[in-house]
Amino acid sequence: MLFASSQVFSQTKTITGKITDSKDGSPIVGATVQPKGTKNGTSTGADGSFSLTVGANVTTLVVTSVGFNRQEISVANASVISMVSSNASLNEVVVVGYGTARKRDLTGAVSSVKAKDFNQGAITNPDQLLQNKVAGLEVTNTSGQPGVATTVQIRGNNSIRSNSSPLYVVDGVPLDGGTARPNIGIGFGGSTPNSNPLLYIDPNSIASVDVLKDASSAAIYGARGANGVIVITTKKGTSGPMKVEAGVNFGVNLGYMKRFAILNASQYRAALVKYKQPSTLDGGGNEDALKALTQHGLTQNYSLAFSGGNEAGKFRAAFLGSKTIGFLKKSALDKYLTTIGGTYKFIDNHLTLDFNLIAGNYGEQLTSVSNNAGSAGNIISSAVSWNPTVPLIKNGLYSFPSNGSGNPLAFNDAFNDRSTVNAFLANISASYAIAKGLTYKFLYGVNHGAGNRKVSIDGWLEGQSGISGVGIAGIANAKLLTQNFTHTLDYKTDIAKDLSLDAIVGYEYYKADYSGDQIVASGFNTNLTQTGRTNILYTSTFQNAKTQNPLVTFANPRGEIQSYFGRVTLNYLDKLVVTGSLRADGSSKFGKNHKYGYFPAVGAKWSVSNESFMKDSRIFSNLALRASYGITGNQEFPSGASQEQFALNSYSNLPQVVNGNPDLKWESSKSINVGADFAFAKGRIYASVDYYHKTTSDILFQTTAIQPAPSSISYVNLKNANLINSGFELAIGAGIVDSKDFGWDLNVNVAYNKNIIKKFTDPNTGLPLLIQTGQINGQGVSGTLAQVITNGQPVNEFYLKPFQGFDKDGNQKYGDNPVFSGDPNPHVLAGFSSTVRYKKFSLGINMGGAFGFLIYNNTATAVTNIAGIAQGRNIDKAAYNSGEGVSSGVAASSRFLEKGDYFKMRNATLRYSVGNVGKYFKGVTAFVTGSNLFVITKFTGFDPEVNIDKSNNSYPSRSIEYVPYPTPRSITFGVNFSL
Amino acid sequence: MIPYKKILLFSVPLIGMSLACTKLDEKLNSTLTAAQTTTALGASGTGLLLNAAYADLATPFSGQDRLFSLEENTTDESLVPTRGGDWDDNGVWRVLHSHTWNADHGQILTNFNELNKLSFDATNVLSFSPTKAQAAEARFLRALSLYYQLDFYGQFPFRNPGENLLNAPKVYGATDGIAFIISELNAALTDIPAGNSNAQANADAIKTLLMKCYLNKGAFINRAAPTFDAADMAQVISIGNTIISGGKYSYTPQYFDNFSVNNGTLSKEGIFVYPNSSGVSTNHAGVEARWNMTLHYNSYTPANPNAGWNGFSTISAFYSSFNTSAGATAFGPADTLLDPRLGGRYYAGATNASGIKPGFLVGQQYNENGVALKDRKGNPLAYDPVIAPTMIETGSNLEVTGIRVVKYVPDYTNSGKYYGGPAGNWLMIFRYPDVVLMVAEAKQRTGDAAGALTLVNGLRTARGASTFATLPLVNTANVDDPNTLLAERGRELYWEGVRRTDLIRFGVFLKPWGLKPTDDPKNLLFPVPNQALAANPNLKQNPGYTN
Repeated sequence: MLFASSQVFSQTKTITGKITDSKDGSPIVGATVQPKGTKNGTSTGADGSFSLTVGANVTTLVVTSVGFNRQEISVANASVISMVSSNASLNEVVVVGYGTARKRDLTGAVSSVKAKDFNQGAITNPDQLLQNKVAGLEVTNTSGQPGVATTVQIRGNNSIRSNSSPLYVVDGVPLDGGTARPNIGIGFGGSTPNSNPLLYIDPNSIASVDVLKDASSAAIYGARGANGVIVITTKKGTSGPMKVEAGVNFGVNLGYMKRFAILNASQYRAALVKYKQPSTLDGGGNEDALKALTQHGLTQNYSLAFSGGNEAGKFRAAFLGSKTIGFLKKSALDKYLTTIGGTYKFIDNHLTLDFNLIAGNYGEQLTSVSNNAGSAGNIISSAVSWNPTVPLIKNGLYSFPSNGSGNPLAFNDAFNDRSTVNAFLANISASYAIAKGLTYKFLYGVNHGAGNRKVSIDGWLEGQSGISGVGIAGIANAKLLTQNFTHTLDYKTDIAKDLSLDAIVGYEYYKADYSGDQIVASGFNTNLTQTGRTNILYTSTFQNAKTQNPLVTFANPRGEIQSYFGRVTLNYLDKLVVTGSLRADGSSKFGKNHKYGYFPAVGAKWSVSNESFMKDSRIFSNLALRASYGITGNQEFPSGASQEQFALNSYSNLPQVVNGNPDLKWESSKSINVGADFAFAKGRIYASVDYYHKTTSDILFQTTAIQPAPSSISYVNLKNANLINSGFELAIGAGIVDSKDFGWDLNVNVAYNKNIIKKFTDPNTGLPLLIQTGQINGQGVSGTLAQVITNGQPVNEFYLKPFQGFDKDGNQKYGDNPVFSGDPNPHVLAGFSSTVRYKKFSLGINMGGAFGFLIYNNTATAVTNIAGIAQGRNIDKAAYNSGEGVSSGVAASSRFLEKGDYFKMRNATLRYSVGNVGKYFKGVTAFVTGSNLFVITKFTGFDPEVNIDKSNNSYPSRSIEYVPYPTPRSITFGVNFSL
Repeated sequence: MIPYKKILLFSVPLIGMSLACTKLDEKLNSTLTAAQTTTALGASGTGLLLNAAYADLATPFSGQDRLFSLEENTTDESLVPTRGGDWDDNGVWRVLHSHTWNADHGQILTNFNELNKLSFDATNVLSFSPTKAQAAEARFLRALSLYYQLDFYGQFPFRNPGENLLNAPKVYGATDGIAFIISELNAALTDIPAGNSNAQANADAIKTLLMKCYLNKGAFINRAAPTFDAADMAQVISIGNTIISGGKYSYTPQYFDNFSVNNGTLSKEGIFVYPNSSGVSTNHAGVEARWNMTLHYNSYTPANPNAGWNGFSTISAFYSSFNTSAGATAFGPADTLLDPRLGGRYYAGATNASGIKPGFLVGQQYNENGVALKDRKGNPLAYDPVIAPTMIETGSNLEVTGIRVVKYVPDYTNSGKYYGGPAGNWLMIFRYPDVVLMVAEAKQRTGDAAGALTLVNGLRTARGASTFATLPLVNTANVDDPNTLLAERGRELYWEGVRRTDLIRFGVFLKPWGLKPTDDPKNLLFPVPNQALAANPNLKQNPGYTN
């Protein structure tokens, strides 16, 4: 398909040829071709071809292009020049909305993470793969329980509602962000953390994750793009013979990454003396309740993938069987996942059929570590307040003190919470090459999940009103179904010799349904005494209960989105790339007066190093400047909020529950992004720096309803208010050494973000708004709120009574009124990773941290405070070492604010490449990974990476610690090989 | 260059997708739109809306932090001291008793919202073509909400049926507000069916609320110096007499039978009640809070500690209004001889199950076997009347300070299973003796002291207490003087949610008592919650409060 001819004249000759990428044969635009030793030359056009007239004596050409190795080639061989990439990252294909782009063509801020760069070790959720890998992407664990949801934020806190998560798009299908694991309330112990919505996606089958951070990248996703977009692409088969890849690994939880400092038995005895408490409180034993709750079973992962194909078709099928043992007893996560994908070509390669199926079953065994339990129901709360001189078990039976701590081991034993979810995500697409450069594609995607959850607490548990002697159980089901229909028409052409066009238009329809049911009963006849226990769960004998509450069912309003979108990209010789996009999104959620929102974006990139004056730069092998502007939307508010609704409640009760707002619409974020990409030292060192400023307006706000009203809240758009996030991001990578036997590379990313609310006033009266949230839970602090959403402050600013020390009797003193007390949002995020390779060994480490924020220690406030010692409960060391007297009251104040700064060794992997073993085993690799090895912090709680959900009235909270499921330090051993 | 034919070919799917366009009308899948409520349910739908308004009574009238808290914790009848680790709750309880609340107080907001929810749901009934009877019930329920709003905040927002909920509604003040409530009640009285039970809006309930309106009208309009118009008092007397002469009610022989788990059948005094059933959680009022909130953790049985919440107490001055004249030293069983309403006597079903003797709990407590109970630190569980002046208990006796009050007898049916709820006691919203005492008060205020005394002594005799020879309305120098009509209202109606209104009407709400000094006249009204003010520009903050 390529041709060249060289005509030789007496003094000059004209050489024509084409320059292509060695990887895929695609034309390289804007490459420079020069006769060796001269400054003359030409650039290749949009199809990679060039024509150059040179002196007859010229025998060698020098070919240069950003991102490719400089090449000298004899004139005789110039007809087809294949260039080898020097810096793979620039030519990497990045998945952007409804298409792909080479990284060097991106005008916006997109970070791409490939499988080889993912975090290693104890990974249960795909989002953990990315922790600290992308500047400005914050993935915060909310619990040590395997499989729970993480808090994911791109470029700061963009919402004052509970959902500021990005949109996930998996193989072209947008997810709705929910899970089919039912929430269940049996009226005891508070709510447990949500399960991770990506749990059914096999981390081993992810090829790459692209994070669309700025508006010009995300605006193509319109009303769902405001929090950024995370695009997940699964692995595909490659041409070649059939290949089998297998992996097996085993892991063990070693112990607490970090312990909250409470008194041990001997310290407790000393405390009894110090605080003049009766010696009857000394139980004579030596118990470590926190240790007693933990387990060290074997986590196992077995994976197997088949792949193969040829020019006409490729496929890959992967399987994962996984059992993750939780750090706390009776907690576990089982996963059985399948990922199948294929692509086949028909009709002379005009028709391409793609399919992907991700299907899985996962089961969670949860412990009673709830977010908001009061005085009972959280086993960590129970363990840290357990009197360490009293044995948990006496004569084979659990002991039940009357001091209010409860027996954590007994509660754990009596508590059963199991959920199972079956979920699949499938898509099939057909694309047809209508003509050269013109392709039509249709994609259908479906995401279905069905979950079941069974919770029970045995009646043999003593000291719990409503459970003891009674027993309580609940069963819940949930069903999630989303469907997606996408049509796109893509046209790529060269408008002129030096100018290429890539245009796409499309239509998309999306609908989502969610429904569920729940039943609760109490008053069982079995398992009512410790000695008479059976292994039969109440949820298996539900009809036996004396008190049966009626079955409660619900079906959410169907969510529908209908969209029209288009994008145009113009590329002038790879020197200047300009892109513009527009999406019109209609949503059933919006009020009838505002059915459609419009989301435009533009971006431009100037590749300075492709200009002739920079061609010979010895410093820069790449220098590009980017700028973009765009508007994205957020429509994450409860469906049905724009309509009057009447609820059919139990016992023939029909109240109006929603007042309706026909003017309700999306919230929109206008953002600018200015960035630069650099590469030095022949691409060995590369860096990107970005500045962004994002202003969210028409804020969707859960306002105080104007009474009399059907509920205390109603949804409106705040016309004047703005939420502003602005900051810088810097990502640097370096391949410091890359020789045959030794290699060393490192990556660093740093992000700074500032968050502030402005003009936050009531839409009706114009008065400033002050929304309190951040529940402080526990005995004696009911109803206390620690955070505020208000004008001139960051979202969730701490708002606490100022602590004023202790009076002469050791009682804590604090001011009467709360004051602004600090920012719970990290200002600086940092990630660091490095790999050192020596011969067959390699050592990779991944570290990360967050800085410049405060954490409120709710555990110290309400669970392990000084008052506990007088009642025979344990207290924490900080209280013991303070000047506080034993009669001091319990109160939330600025005393319990702590610096949250931390830096964590997330994982370190030592890998040994055995190579081929015998005739059949290829690429055998053995590794050992340590996860959560250590954390450097001054925070006194379990883990400074804290975000327990302490929302109030659905206003979110941030950085409040409350008796969390602790983070374990763990180790994983494994072997990978292929056949 | 451009292949038009193929593009034409391609346009087929484009046409297909434009046909697929949806109007994006949102389908509600388990709730109804207003139109569906009308068409699908018709008249029965209106009945369901009315049920929703009744359900709105449950939480406001039984929760320990709702109407009860604003009416009782602000008075000499009740307070919640902070006990070491318990009941600090950011000071919300202490500021109620010390009259130092502000416009951000959570309970003041919650009550405002819940009362307005009742007002809204009752008004909604009127939007859906109700029968005359349904409309009468709805108007009574709404009037009940408006009465409490006027009492707490001195104003209430009001929407007519069908108003746009995104617009701020008009607001009634004290004078036009009380007139409006009275006119609404009179209208409801015309249409209310004679056969309605005491768990529904009924003629006597409407009359009782009318009496309250007439009796308090002068206090609502001028809180600092209440006036009592003779015509209003005549209304109280004549309306009250129709209830008394109706013969439907009588004094229940055993006072605590009015509050026991069987009070639905045993009590002869319920004019307006909220019914509950043991073990049934749907539409349950959570009445068990009435004993949990006051009882010690170890009060139930030693095998089931942490059942009580160890909070609410009363002050010794109020206890002494039972004529326990010898003061603090006289606490004990002898007091019970004075007035059986003080309690402390064996009550079948409760004392044999837990040792608890309903009424006021003072001194050492015992279990069902007569064994002395201990607190969680191993000290005797002996309630000590002396509460720290700061209401912050710090001593070794912090778990046992304060006299406890068990008015509703814990539900020990089914082996005590419903002690923690759902308990079966019916909640008494209006009780007959209140009617009698209101008539007596109106008579006293209009110069008929003898007529008043006859009614009061009739009640006292029925309760087993001695009769009075004379009975002044109030002793402004001593709020808890036993020899007053105010004290008689306290002895009969303690912890039933009328005390704050009474103290204001008798002009002594700002007087010092127990742990509260003389305070600011602004406290005669609660502030309008800041959140409500921010949403409705027609609401005006009450004098003395800053936003």
